[in-house]
Amino acid sequence: MVESLLFYSFASFILISAIFTVTAKNIFHCALYLASTLFGVAAIFILLNAYFLAAVQVLIYIGAVVVLTIFVVNLTKEITGEKPVFVRGNVLPALIVSALTATLIILALVKTTGGQILAKETLAVDFTRVLGKQLLSNFVLAFEVVSVLLLAALIAAITIVSKDPEDKK
Amino acid sequence: MITITHYTILSALLFSIGIYGVITRKNAIGILISIELIFNAVNINMVAVSRYLPQTEIYGQVFAVFIIAVAAAESVIGLAIILAIYNSRKKVNADEMDIMKF
Repeated sequence: MVESLLFYSFASFILISAIFTVTAKNIFHCALYLASTLFGVAAIFILLNAYFLAAVQVLIYIGAVVVLTIFVVNLTKEITGEKPVFVRGNVLPALIVSALTATLIILALVKTTGGQILAKETLAVDFTRVLGKQLLSNFVLAFEVVSVLLLAALIAAITIVSKDPEDKK
Repeated sequence: MITITHYTILSALLFSIGIYGVITRKNAIGILISIELIFNAVNINMVAVSRYLPQTEIYGQVFAVFIIAVAAAESVIGLAIILAIYNSRKKVNADEMDIMKF
């Protein structure tokens, strides 16, 4: 009962802020609505017993990705100027495509047998220890590759944004 | 009682809202923000599946960790490219970035 109440309130919060995220006129407000959507997703993670992922969601998504997006929005001045330039196109095709996608997925989900699985009764178990063991035993190769990927992304971002010294001559 | 179908339907709705954003936005930063919504829909799916499977195997959560890391890298690179294009051409709309060589 409590679970249903929490689920429906968080789900409606997520969907409403997601709709605001894709329809907000100012791109800065759009980034802020994204932050609130991500908070809702973190709450859903806690509801699903994924406490570590909820913390990672708040730290990495809200703490890093949204802040980075806001930095870039502020660095591209034309958007934050007096009149927020909001160009929107293809509304009707977008509505058709997204409605069709949602209808198809939901129809497939509802028709699937086995969707009524209830979770086992051992609620509120912390899986962080299991997650750490999995990351450092079964998935250790992927774990190291992801760290190399993050390093590569860091170097690439610096290289792309930094001014080329040849251009100034 | 909340079943796995509830979570997957929530994820499907979030996914299609993200698709709507990707198609309608012309601002490249707006497209990246909508892509983050799609990533989060996938993450909800992964964690829900991992919650409703036998409890010793939490592969879904492991995948979600990797998805979050890759999404962070993708976002950093995308924003760096947008910033570089803005610095050299003063454009942020995706349909105006039609010349790759400059």
